[in-house]
Amino acid sequence: MKETNSQSATRRAARLAALFVSFLFASGIVFASGAKESASAQQSSAVTINFYTGGDVNVHDLWANDILPAYKKVAPNVNVNLVFSEHNGSDQLVFDKIAAAKQAGKVSGVDIWETGRVLQAGEAGLAMKVSATDIANLSKVSPDVLAQAGGYGVPYRGSSVVIAYNSQYVSNPPTTLQGLFDWIKKNPGKFTYNPPDTGGSGDAFVQAVLKTSVMSSDLKTFQTSYNQSLESEWGSGWKLLESLGPDVYQGGFYPKGNVGVLQLLDKGAIWLAPVWSDMGLSYLAQGLLPANVKLEQLDPPFSGGASYIAVVSDSLHKSADDAFLNWLLTPEVQAIVIHKMNGYPGVEWQYVPADVRQKFAAIAKNYSFGFSAKFDSDMHQMWYQNVANAGKN
Amino acid sequence: MAGARQLPGQRYERRSEWKEGVLGLVLALLPFAVLVALVIIPAIDSLLFSLGQIPKNNVAFSTGMHLISSPHLTLQVYRNLFSSKYFAADLALTLSVTLFSVILVVVVSYGLALYVRFTHDRFSRLVRSLYLVPMFIPIVIASYALITFWGDHGFLNAVFSHLGLGFRTPIFHEAGIVLGQVWQSIPFAVLLLGSGLDNIAEEQIEAARDVGARMFTVFRRIVLPLNLVPLLIVTTFTFIGTMGSFTVPYLIGPNAPQMLSVDMSSHFGDYNQPQPAVAMAIVTFVIAAVAGAAYVWGTSRDERKSR
Repeated sequence: MKETNSQSATRRAARLAALFVSFLFASGIVFASGAKESASAQQSSAVTINFYTGGDVNVHDLWANDILPAYKKVAPNVNVNLVFSEHNGSDQLVFDKIAAAKQAGKVSGVDIWETGRVLQAGEAGLAMKVSATDIANLSKVSPDVLAQAGGYGVPYRGSSVVIAYNSQYVSNPPTTLQGLFDWIKKNPGKFTYNPPDTGGSGDAFVQAVLKTSVMSSDLKTFQTSYNQSLESEWGSGWKLLESLGPDVYQGGFYPKGNVGVLQLLDKGAIWLAPVWSDMGLSYLAQGLLPANVKLEQLDPPFSGGASYIAVVSDSLHKSADDAFLNWLLTPEVQAIVIHKMNGYPGVEWQYVPADVRQKFAAIAKNYSFGFSAKFDSDMHQMWYQNVANAGKN
Repeated sequence: MAGARQLPGQRYERRSEWKEGVLGLVLALLPFAVLVALVIIPAIDSLLFSLGQIPKNNVAFSTGMHLISSPHLTLQVYRNLFSSKYFAADLALTLSVTLFSVILVVVVSYGLALYVRFTHDRFSRLVRSLYLVPMFIPIVIASYALITFWGDHGFLNAVFSHLGLGFRTPIFHEAGIVLGQVWQSIPFAVLLLGSGLDNIAEEQIEAARDVGARMFTVFRRIVLPLNLVPLLIVTTFTFIGTMGSFTVPYLIGPNAPQMLSVDMSSHFGDYNQPQPAVAMAIVTFVIAAVAGAAYVWGTSRDERKSR
């Protein structure tokens, strides 16, 4: 009896192993057939482009409900396969996937990729340089915007950081950076921004303050390349930020993320803060901010930025990629982007339909440029050391 | 428990035992291979990276900024780390949060476990189900709930100001992280301690009570020694769990200093400095390994004893 027991245990284990092995084979077969499929698709005239992107649900809806259906009508035999990751959670994974494929000499399967890591991907040889020779409409894009990503990405939309203020409490909002500093001192506890690494609005504010102490001859370097020794020019900017600390919300608390700041603004806990123009307008439209919150740009303006789409180096459908990206920069598509995202166009404002330009006259201005990615990374760390740690060590 | 294999009269046919052994080995080899490929090899890579060996084929590492590269192994990354006052502050915060969390979790959970073990009424049955609640609430949601309840302009603040009392919120301070960790760790800790207490025979306690031992003596001389292993498990698990926690310190912690987990993630992503991030991970691993060793020692000692 007991022997049969142990025998049946063995048999059960063997069955389990067989199941496991057959599972392995089965998945191998699925992989193999998947590869075959994509190869045959390539031969026929229909093309599938794998488009990796991410962000909040509004970005997803922009692509899934508006842009991609519109492109289906223009180019019926091109199928753009949207691979979306919420909040860019898999940005690193996509980067690793492409890098691993390159190393193994294989095709990553990622054709075009919207990411904040365009420059890093380009420098690692994972993304191609884009130019007006392949994508004609790039001539309508500001060369500065292109240079911001090292020429490795097509900017299809933009946004700028502006000041949001609660007009119930603030009747005369500051219009310059110096005016903003004075306002903060006069209204202690009613201003804050997010740590620069947690969101672009706080990032733009910190950069604007640091720029006040940067030599104008070096500004271009700060925006487009990297030289660590220039960071000593930030010194008095850090002092200024540190001195604002006691007058910031709760004597120096900086909520995480752009949304954290918007929520404090909504609660009435703060009266004035830097926010992204597109987020501010969307929140107002959805009633997530009280209607008496107004947006306004300082003079000189805060920095903004574009969202870039990179063409992955190993893409097998380069001409289809280029055609799609070129179409994205046409006036009609740019108008869709502006309306849906409450954002800025990727092309310069003069290439946007006149009626759209008039509707957004209040924000239809250029934005300034932020620091290059490497300066920005150093700045994030130095902010924690100089501002967040102030008075704690 | 450990005697199950030596049931009287149980005989194994040699061949089937041998087959079973091979099969067991094969089955164990698969997860082991996965472990080697996905954990051990990358861990060795990371260790070498933190010692100045930059892998050319790992873009995530080689495109980092301020890399320290050296033809031979160097401790420079660690030297830089330990000479930084910011790292010192982060490490100090991590250790103190971990210490306070462990103490609070053990004290509160032991209290709860003793209560539901030795009290049998309607209220204790209610407590028995209530302490499980945190297990079923995702920690992100629990963190936001804690912020809304304990935070500035939150519920407690309103109650206190209604009573004319002052209120200093623990949210966005060190105490807030401890609060979140205790909340998260309690169900598992009480379950473990409680199952240990259930194994203590009622007769032993009654016998001690009969000879006049007071409740505290019973606890110190009988309950505590008999329930030592679950206590050790709870202590080490809470220690390691708190050291490595990210969500609670990220959402509830102060801007600075930060717990190492948050600092690590900032270095890896936001500062684009993977090398110090990896070095911090290894420092954390070494500290956690000490706790892990205590756990292995404690449980294996118990196994030997029960054989």
